Amino acid sequence: MTPLDVATWIVRLAGAYAAAGLLFALLFLFVLRGVDRIDPSARAGSRGFRWIVLPGVAALWPLLLRRWLAGASEPPEESNAHRRAAAGGRG
Amino acid sequence: MSHGYQAVGWSPFKKRYDLVLGGLLAGYLALFSLATLLLRPEITAETLLIRAFGTAALLLLHAVLAIGPLARLDGRFLPLLYNRRHLGVTMFLAALVHGALATFQFHALGDAPPLVSLLASNTRLDSLSQFPFQQLGLAALLILFLMAATSHDFWLAQLTAPVWKALHMGVYLAYALIVAHVALGALQDERSPLLAGALGAGVVAIAGLHLAAGRREAALDRERRAAGADGFVEVCGVDEIAEGRARVVTLGGERVAVFRYEGRLSALSNVCRHQNGPLGEGRIVDGCVTCPWHGYQYLPASGASPPPFSERVPTFRVRVVDRRVFVDPRPLPAGTPVAPAVVSESGGGG
Ligand code: FES
Repeated sequence: MTPLDVATWIVRLAGAYAAAGLLFALLFLFVLRGVDRIDPSARAGSRGFRWIVLPGVAALWPLLLRRWLAGASEPPEESNAHRRAAAGGRG
Repeated sequence: MSHGYQAVGWSPFKKRYDLVLGGLLAGYLALFSLATLLLRPEITAETLLIRAFGTAALLLLHAVLAIGPLARLDGRFLPLLYNRRHLGVTMFLAALVHGALATFQFHALGDAPPLVSLLASNTRLDSLSQFPFQQLGLAALLILFLMAATSHDFWLAQLTAPVWKALHMGVYLAYALIVAHVALGALQDERSPLLAGALGAGVVAIAGLHLAAGRREAALDRERRAAGADGFVEVCGVDEIAEGRARVVTLGGERVAVFRYEGRLSALSNVCRHQNGPLGEGRIVDGCVTCPWHGYQYLPASGASPPPFSERVPTFRVRVVDRRVFVDPRPLPAGTPVAPAVVSESGGGG
């Protein structure tokens, strides 16, 4: 394979990923509104909010698709040192 | 306290910030173009725009990287930090214009599609003047895109703060890539040493600021550990905390906010329950610690939101000895009431 062939494939794959992402983003944000299911704050969110997160949704769509399919209804709760220590039953 | 996401949570401060930012950017682009036209009248419009936006993005990137350590070294820079996201997104947009114009200028006329041509160009890793510097720029642009695209609160919630922060650390990788992109690209056919000197000075300034901020924090940590008796750790002097404000310290691996209000002191976890906003950068409003990001409120003495809300954050024991503030670094379960430490009113020694 010449560098040109490699480059062609990289661009094709990236293009397919981005196209799928764009389609997903439109469905997820505007048509089927999966975003409202996985994050309550999105339900009351403005239209501008949907547009502004669109590029990110198109880029990170596998993550959101997984959460949507898994039936998540809240954003994940992170753990940090204080919460762990305070919950960890210290005398 | 649920609230809907907005595209941008506008405040008068953010509007002013963006206005100033937009003005500075437009002014810079105009000045740069004017100066270039005077010095090199033969330059084409495309090349002029590519350079104007490229250098603008580079300057903005330095500003983005400098704000963090500057705010840690001197609290007066904190307001710049609050709206750093807009600075970052503006920087990405300037870089995008630069990249799109350059791709068009150098790759649109061949047989291969522009992006393919870009990726396949200059593949000689062993040559300085033919190094694939454009690919470096593209890689940096992708990182900056991911950061700009995930700068909304929605992403902070979906990715969780640790992942989000790790992703946004990518700015340092992008910076390295961009320095290489400029050094191996534009600097190779630049005769005047001006750009090389400026780039070098920028790298030294950014590295120096980070080192200074890191050293200062390490020194403060050492001081605190040395002062600890019966588990309490000395945090600062009473008078270093302004009324209605907090001082933030790192204890037990996380940040603690010590608030002063009505002659009393209380310490809470610095991490807001909502989306991990920095409580210690907020103020006491109506007797409650109020998160600067979206206004969630907590009673300072218990870390619990006033009814009907149910959010709670961990609290810490505080005491004052000789007008010095001491905090027990062991967090109490979220919402545990703690008697506030009383600050004697006589401004003098205690
Ligand atoms: S992070 Fe949203 S209110 Fe604190």
